[in-house]
Amino acid sequence: MVAMAKMNTTQKLNPDALKFLTAVSHKKYSKQTLKLGSLIASVFDAHLSVAYVGQKVSEFHGSMVNLTRQNLDKWNIIHPGLEVLEWALEELKELRPENEGLAKVKFNADHVFEEDGRVRVLMPEGEGCGVELILREGELVQELRKEIQLDDYDLTIIGGSQNKRHLAHSIIQYLPSSILVLQDFRPKKKYKLLLLVDDSEATKKSVEWGAIIAQKLGWPIRTLTVSKTKRFGAGYQGAADRAKAYFESRDIEVEQFFLTGDPVRTFVEFAGDNHMIIMGASTLNPVKQFLFGSKPIKTLEQTDVPILIVR
Amino acid sequence: MRISTDMLFWLQQKRWLLISLIMGATLYFWVPPPHGLSPEGFHILTIILMTLILILKEPVPLPAIAIQLIFWQVIIGGSTPNEVGSYFMNDAVFFIMGSLMLAVAIVGQGLDKRLALGIIKLTGNKTWRIVSGFTAISAILSSFVGPHMVTAMMLPVGLTLVRFSERKRGSIKKLTAALLFSIAYGATIGSIGTPSGGGRNVIMMNYWAEFGSGTLSYIDWMKLVYPMVLIEIPLTIFIILKTFPPEIHNLDRAVRRLSVEVAYAGKTTPKEYLTMGLFGLVLFSWITLSETFGLGTIALIGIFSYMAMGLVSWEKLSKNVNWGVILLFGATISIGVQMKNTGGAAWLAELSIHFLERMIPNIDTLRAVVSVALSGVMSNLLSSSATVAVVGPIVLNLGGDPIMLGLASVIASAFGYFTAVAAPACTIIYATGFVRAGDFLKAGWKMAIMSIFSLMLIGIFWWPLLRQ
Repeated sequence: MVAMAKMNTTQKLNPDALKFLTAVSHKKYSKQTLKLGSLIASVFDAHLSVAYVGQKVSEFHGSMVNLTRQNLDKWNIIHPGLEVLEWALEELKELRPENEGLAKVKFNADHVFEEDGRVRVLMPEGEGCGVELILREGELVQELRKEIQLDDYDLTIIGGSQNKRHLAHSIIQYLPSSILVLQDFRPKKKYKLLLLVDDSEATKKSVEWGAIIAQKLGWPIRTLTVSKTKRFGAGYQGAADRAKAYFESRDIEVEQFFLTGDPVRTFVEFAGDNHMIIMGASTLNPVKQFLFGSKPIKTLEQTDVPILIVR
Repeated sequence: MRISTDMLFWLQQKRWLLISLIMGATLYFWVPPPHGLSPEGFHILTIILMTLILILKEPVPLPAIAIQLIFWQVIIGGSTPNEVGSYFMNDAVFFIMGSLMLAVAIVGQGLDKRLALGIIKLTGNKTWRIVSGFTAISAILSSFVGPHMVTAMMLPVGLTLVRFSERKRGSIKKLTAALLFSIAYGATIGSIGTPSGGGRNVIMMNYWAEFGSGTLSYIDWMKLVYPMVLIEIPLTIFIILKTFPPEIHNLDRAVRRLSVEVAYAGKTTPKEYLTMGLFGLVLFSWITLSETFGLGTIALIGIFSYMAMGLVSWEKLSKNVNWGVILLFGATISIGVQMKNTGGAAWLAELSIHFLERMIPNIDTLRAVVSVALSGVMSNLLSSSATVAVVGPIVLNLGGDPIMLGLASVIASAFGYFTAVAAPACTIIYATGFVRAGDFLKAGWKMAIMSIFSLMLIGIFWWPLLRQ
């Protein structure tokens, strides 16, 4: 009971007001990202924005590119980003057949609105459908950061990128929301949730996220606490017990694991290829994170399974 | 003081600005000028180095880069404000401004549909003939009106053919690349053909006049350079078709659908006749009157006429013209002149010659190699016009025939085939998302070898005949 009381003092997740952002890049590569993004947004009943972040055009020729695009519009050849967003909308309609508002929406490349350095697709027929389409151009992390700050998103969902190791640091350090990175995600595979538990504040929130995902998707949950030495302190033990109690109070079956070793290597080895990792964001100061990395950054760099970092 | 994530992010985003400032401060305060270079020349070269970093990494917007060029020239470059201002506006900047405005006025008037019909009539429906037609027409048009306007008008035609081929995009990647590269590379090789083919050509003409290196009329330029365009057209077609062999050999259905689409545009309207007529007059004046009035002034007369006739509104011009680019060219040319005046250009020219003279003993060959190599390499990193603005004063201080070396430099600055940033036509096709960065490398190295070979050919066999 003491454990439950402590857990309840943390800031509660309010599923009614959650806003998720999914970044898509290409029909071929973003299908799974959109699929899991939509699934997770449904689980939390969250508003979902789909953002296409296109390559930044050199400023030297920017105005000529815009002029050419205006001319292409007259030939009904739309911006490649709008083409991807149109595809995303159709995919979402298939993924969410129950969403009547979304079914009514007809994509029109002329119905776009430019504001705050981004282009929003206007969808008047689908007001209240909980989906928004956004086009941005520029460097990925910079544009997603601006978008998150503008609309105060709770979770950003991005696909695994080939230059993941290069981007991992920036994504985790600079995106001011929780982050779900879908790497080698296979929808037909049976995943287990692997919740990494320690005595940090962020663990408490990740327990809540884990509980909702486990409940709605029916995925089994495992908690893993790793200590560098054989001795597990009261903080680690208490956090693991509180997490367990929280899951059990919601009738979620949970397996507890305590392992000794290098934390990141142990997380990655334990996760194998059939877990989705959930872990709290680092509380290290930004300069230390920048210079030396953090557990979430190193874990993302080393693992190939989907990973949710809760902030 | 605790550094927040916001501050850290800002520092990371602006790291190249900070590097540029730190490097500038170090060179200005702690590093003495090298032997043979005046302090003023050293400071001007410092500003250029700082600016190159900013242009390459773009940590601040383009107009901001232009603005810092202006004030650094006054603060550390030893120039007076009026001196900087006096070099800031000249015929080359007028021409760049006028040609950008003309592009806005002409693109979107519906002339591209007439152009499409003309090309189809000329080429028929065989893919190789369409690719050849696109390359040749883009090159010829671009030599007079500049690559950006041609690409903006030709691209819809190319992409409409791709769309009407009714194949999945993934199954016609090479056809798509062949059509788009025929436009981009065609427009790029053509842009050297006449002075009005690109801003860089006019910048070089401006430097010749400013530095007392001589002059070249519109027709003389064409006589010297146009043969190279004509040599390059068939070679470019060959390279494109070999690099991207199209999956479909006959675009019969696509051509028919395009003809129907174009037919909906109806007969040529009086507005379209007027647009074409006015541009014809501008072109005629460039060829016949530019020695007296300057290319820039004629371009401005043209744009005035378009506005006076109601063919384009000021709102449309002000929205679609990149004023930052105009500001940047003004600033770059002014520092180019200062580089010459302070001896910085001569010092760099001597350094390049000294560095390479052991490898290339023949001084004329050496000058040509330095001129072409400097421009060719830099144009793949910067835009071609910015390259000429910076490299021009160095090339004109190499000694030898400044007209020939200047031309070689201008021509080599069009060799920006490797990346999507160098040539405007390449950036425009890249922005469609239909071609990848790797495609530029695939075809670019072949284009570069072919272009260097063509330049050598006319430089060795053609130019000496005309310059005797």
